[in-house]
Amino acid sequence: MIQTIEASPDETYDIELEHSLLEANAQLARENRALLDGLGVTAIDVMGAIGSGKTTLIARLVERLKDSFGVAVFNGDATTSTDAELIASQSVPVVQIATLNGCHLDANLVGKALRKVNLEKLRLIFIENIGNLICPAEFPLGSKARVVVVSVTEGPYMVRKHPHMFLGAQLVVVNKIDLSEAMGVSVVELIEDVHALKPEIAVIPTSCKTGHGIDEVTAALLAL
Amino acid sequence: MHELSIASAIVESVLEFVSVRRVKRVFAVKLAIGEFSHLEAEQLRFCYMAITDQTPLQDSVLEIETVEAVVRCGKCSYRGRPKYWNDALSAGAIPTLQCPNCGAGVEIVEGNDCAIKSIRCATEDNEQESLKSKTDCR
Repeated sequence: MIQTIEASPDETYDIELEHSLLEANAQLARENRALLDGLGVTAIDVMGAIGSGKTTLIARLVERLKDSFGVAVFNGDATTSTDAELIASQSVPVVQIATLNGCHLDANLVGKALRKVNLEKLRLIFIENIGNLICPAEFPLGSKARVVVVSVTEGPYMVRKHPHMFLGAQLVVVNKIDLSEAMGVSVVELIEDVHALKPEIAVIPTSCKTGHGIDEVTAALLAL
Repeated sequence: MHELSIASAIVESVLEFVSVRRVKRVFAVKLAIGEFSHLEAEQLRFCYMAITDQTPLQDSVLEIETVEAVVRCGKCSYRGRPKYWNDALSAGAIPTLQCPNCGAGVEIVEGNDCAIKSIRCATEDNEQESLKSKTDCR
């Protein structure tokens, strides 16, 4: 027979802890950043919804930059390697980060991916985050900048529905502008929404399909 | 569902604390969530309940308080609550990074974190005391 006694509320202690739950990831992110900075490598975290055009944007940028200096791509994907294969066809180092059930990349996974590539031969790493507009915002990876890709096909309210994502970004790409008329979605209003959240952030309209705006994105990233 | 990652981090931290400090039972874990963090309290409680089942934290309560956001403007030196975007679509006001005073970009001073503030618990020592006092009453 098991006897149980329970402490009543006046017999319990409140122990102060002040333990940050985001700090463990933030610390690993700082370590990733220090490693990259030490070798002169810039990592760019590309975030956005599934189908917003993250992979196509990265493919376009890689196409443009790979002959000038070493570029690698980390593809975060919950299940498939479709995106990784697409980028690998350009003969640059690609690391697929399969999160399985995870809804975001974290600094630990990116740290592991960093050990898979020869950093000394690289200057730029694109990290394609999981297609999700909420969770990745809370987990810095050690990148120098975070880019959010939002496309007109996601509808007119994408920015105001997912404000958090934009608050932590340094660059916003409004993609698929060639479809804005067909979609009845105003590119100008999407840009205004971004600026209502974060007044001084650079927003570049693109069509990754036609190549419109890719020069501007390239220039903005190289200026970081 | 990054609430699950956060809930796991809470449980790991508390279990580690429990093993070090001779804690007999945990009654409540008090959590402070910043207004700028993107965590949903109800989902977090659900995840916590689900993963503490069959652990020493079973039946403990996750108490969540919100930490108000504070921002600072580099341009006009404003320091205080952020400007909110009251949008018809959203359930609540959205804190923005636009200075409520001059409209420039601001930086976040407070309200970006998620932290365990304290743990309400009974240690082995104080529970023995409570047993003694009950014996005395007879």
